[in-house]
Amino acid sequence: MLDFIQATSDGVLFGATYALIGIGFTLVFGVMHKLNLAYGAASIGAAYAGLLILGAFWAEAPAWIVFLGAFLAGGLIGWLVYVTCFHFIPSASALATLMATVGMLLLIDEIVVHATDGLPLNYPALFSDVMLHLGDYYLRGDLLLVFTLSVLCMVGLLALLYRTRLGLATRAVAQQPIAAQLCGIRVARVNAMTFVITGLLGGLAGAMIGASVGALSPLLTTPLTIKGLIVTVIGGLGSIPGAIVAGLLVGGFESVFQQFRGVTERDLYVMLLLFVFLFFRPGGIFAAKGGRD
Amino acid sequence: MDFYYGLAQIIGIHTLLGLSAYIVLLTGQVTMAQAAFFAIGAYAAGMLTVLAGWHLVPALGVSAILGSITAAAVGFPALRVKGLMLVVATLAFGEGVRLFFFNFDYQVAKGEVKVGPLGGEGFRQIRFFPENGWTTGEVMLFIWIFAIAALALLWWFDRSRYGAVLRAVGEDELAAQSVGINLTAVKVSAFSVGGAIAGIGGGLYAHYTTHIEHANFNVLVATFAIAYPIVGGLSSVFGTVLAVIFVQGFLIEGLRFLGDWRNLLFGALIVLAMNVRPSGFFGKRRA
Repeated sequence: MLDFIQATSDGVLFGATYALIGIGFTLVFGVMHKLNLAYGAASIGAAYAGLLILGAFWAEAPAWIVFLGAFLAGGLIGWLVYVTCFHFIPSASALATLMATVGMLLLIDEIVVHATDGLPLNYPALFSDVMLHLGDYYLRGDLLLVFTLSVLCMVGLLALLYRTRLGLATRAVAQQPIAAQLCGIRVARVNAMTFVITGLLGGLAGAMIGASVGALSPLLTTPLTIKGLIVTVIGGLGSIPGAIVAGLLVGGFESVFQQFRGVTERDLYVMLLLFVFLFFRPGGIFAAKGGRD
Repeated sequence: MDFYYGLAQIIGIHTLLGLSAYIVLLTGQVTMAQAAFFAIGAYAAGMLTVLAGWHLVPALGVSAILGSITAAAVGFPALRVKGLMLVVATLAFGEGVRLFFFNFDYQVAKGEVKVGPLGGEGFRQIRFFPENGWTTGEVMLFIWIFAIAALALLWWFDRSRYGAVLRAVGEDELAAQSVGINLTAVKVSAFSVGGAIAGIGGGLYAHYTTHIEHANFNVLVATFAIAYPIVGGLSSVFGTVLAVIFVQGFLIEGLRFLGDWRNLLFGALIVLAMNVRPSGFFGKRRA
């Protein structure tokens, strides 16, 4: 029982990063009804970019500066992905966009491998020596920071979406792109801003993953992409609260199974969880009534 | 000469992989599960020839049937969800199958050595071709017999009523349904045909490499499977072949002289190709 609660709490804290990635997928889907498969790679790539660019002229940068670097690099990479994979491809060619993001995924991965010779890089963490003891349990300080920062980011995002004019425009484009355009909203600009915002979130998620794993490696990309997509589907496509809840759920779930069934079987159970959801609740946790695909 | 035969073998196998995704894409469904059927075919054929001592041809038949049954079994629940949800469902299924083979042990003592799949180590010594003294050229011909058969089958489908039905579902599901087409039956049938083709491709792949492991069937392979028809365009099966030759022959072999830079160019060229020709090489231009 002790192990179970400990594994769950560790997993839920780490699950905050999955929630961030899930939000990124879901937000792009909500606004453009397209899938950005390069997002996981872009997030890890942003963490790399922040670390490498900073490392070039400030070798001993404090951890929070490195995180900030990843955050900003994420926004830039998000914009680049928009320009290369979405802006010029007609919106009717959904398959072409999907394929272009796959090409971008491979490209980002290869740039990372090329820049680092495929070797893992150490990534700084904050509060890694802090342990909060609660009776028999403990909470890792670095995971707590990951969780707190991710939650702050989500709150910031929700405030942006529901309290600002840009958020209003984003929601309008998501609901009815043509009507939004008729109201004088520049759809292309809103789409680009969505990519920058999700890119910022992704950069932070990449940094948080680097901080809690202690290292960055190109091998992180594929599992992150798959987990992010699973979180998106379990939460319900286009639903931000859904992505948050599903991210924490998947994090806790995989950590429990890692504890009891080992790391090689862990992901098998996550896939099973997804199929349970697809079967019994295909629209996700927070499915809109009569929602679209 | 053996180099070109080897290249032709790989192109033939990947043609089968691409065609297995082509027929599913015709119905408008994006599938990321082709690597899973590929894996099932590979392991099934390998186990039958190595452990049970079968000839390759019946073993490939079993691969095709297993691939087809699995595809139909996945198709029924997975096709309840549409569009992008299906991408994720099939992606998760593909990863699930890969992880299954990652944890799959079935070893049998054969003489001195133990043979059979061994979890993360993979399945070694699938030596049907060398044991029976097939030359590289013969193996190439054998692979291309299947590739051409699959091409001919799909080409004929395209010209038949069935092909028209597939495309009708792909163009507009609502319109197709309203003229009395059973959407589930059409999609599941396309899925099963694709699963059978991928199963045969996998069986050939296992005997071509002689050593398979779970990492041979990862998301990247599933991505390649849908990349060929999308890059080639969905208006003709020959687009898929052209795309396979472009990717395997030009991007992977032809650019080998670039060394490390080849991999960088690979992703960039796919992005560029999709920007320049969103409907693929052979696609119609849309307004």
